[in-house]
Amino acid sequence: MSAVPRPLSLLCELTYRCNLQCPYCYNPLDLRSYRDELTTEQWSGVLRQAADLGVVQAHFSGGEPTLRPDLVALVQAAAACGLYTNLITQGTFLDDVLLDRLVDGGLDHVQISIQAPQTALADRIAGATVHDKKLEALRRVLTRDVALTLNCVLHRLNHDSIEEIINFAQRLEIRRLELANVQFYGWAYRNRTALMPTLEQVRHGEQVVAAARERLRSAMEIVYVLPDYFGDFPKPCMNGWGRQFVTVTPNGYALPCPAAAGITTLAFENVRDRSLGEIWRESASFVRYRGTDWMPDPCRSCERRELDWGGCRCQAYLVTGDAGVTDPACSLSPDHASIVALRDAVSGAEPVYRRA
Amino acid sequence: MKPTAHPRFGKGVKLRHDGDGSVMLLIPEGALVLNAPAAAALELVDGTRPLAEIIATVAERFDVSAGRAGEDILDLFERLEQRGLVQ
Repeated sequence: MSAVPRPLSLLCELTYRCNLQCPYCYNPLDLRSYRDELTTEQWSGVLRQAADLGVVQAHFSGGEPTLRPDLVALVQAAAACGLYTNLITQGTFLDDVLLDRLVDGGLDHVQISIQAPQTALADRIAGATVHDKKLEALRRVLTRDVALTLNCVLHRLNHDSIEEIINFAQRLEIRRLELANVQFYGWAYRNRTALMPTLEQVRHGEQVVAAARERLRSAMEIVYVLPDYFGDFPKPCMNGWGRQFVTVTPNGYALPCPAAAGITTLAFENVRDRSLGEIWRESASFVRYRGTDWMPDPCRSCERRELDWGGCRCQAYLVTGDAGVTDPACSLSPDHASIVALRDAVSGAEPVYRRA
Repeated sequence: MKPTAHPRFGKGVKLRHDGDGSVMLLIPEGALVLNAPAAAALELVDGTRPLAEIIATVAERFDVSAGRAGEDILDLFERLEQRGLVQ
């Protein structure tokens, strides 16, 4: 590929601090290495540079982004550059005052996550008593002029509750529900044997979602993120490396994927040292797996190479130790047996809760 | 969606115009790239204009029959309504 593509989406991971301890978190294990967070001015600069590059959406996430006292200022800064703004939060700090300031500041969309539809299970997974507070936040957002998505990450501990999650969303008259099977990075990879759904759960879940989509039609959009150890082909991670998405970590590293920091064979660059545009266009970390030229077989000769984009580089690295091979989640990968082994390695062990 | 409906955008749905003339519909956690007739139709969405009028305007502007434009635009609005992007 010769022309450098235009990034469309910027994920601002404002902080990795969080008052929850969900064991399925994709944040890195070494949370303490990210405490030297960018300042308000530095984030504002990143947002302006992103808008100049052609980015249209800014997503504020973390960790828990509402722990940043300058969140409203950053939403305003993004809106001032013409960016669509999205807050990805667990909602426990989203009181009336903060929500009003965010909406007045130009916030377009909020995604609030719950851990399960049942209070006891949700609080057990979160490692904190927070479910009822989230319910309050959801009700609050529904009364404001801002779009809402309810998100629930699915794993073995809550996979049997999909029907209840959908009913929970329906009772609240939520328009958009995201049911996202856990992706195994960071803390979730560490906890994979405790979180891996069973094949039976996955198959049953698909039926429940299909039936609900039929039943709810235009009343609710259900986004279902497939579990990626169970399919024949890998997810088209980030729609291709360095192709549409850029993530900036709390301490300023620009990554082609939120999980990319785990790839220790690449040297990522920091927005404190170089502009986002230069990093996007020229950094070896972005160029390395951009397009299709880097691909080995079976991707190189595969007709799906511009559908899957080789799958996920982070997963290839985590599972095989080489970020430059076909994602082993692909059934055509010579390393696919490793994924099958991970999928079948289910244990009853308690997950390790996320902590700094 | 009926031709007599007065479509309006759902929450968190915005049109975006770029310097190169391209138009996108920005939606929760995504963006749809619009072709010229779709962009022209969605630019007319204001909650008061009936869909029939939107169809007629686009048909005239792009010099196609109202029947043909009507089918495409109705289809577009139905898909957007299904996803809660237009009401």
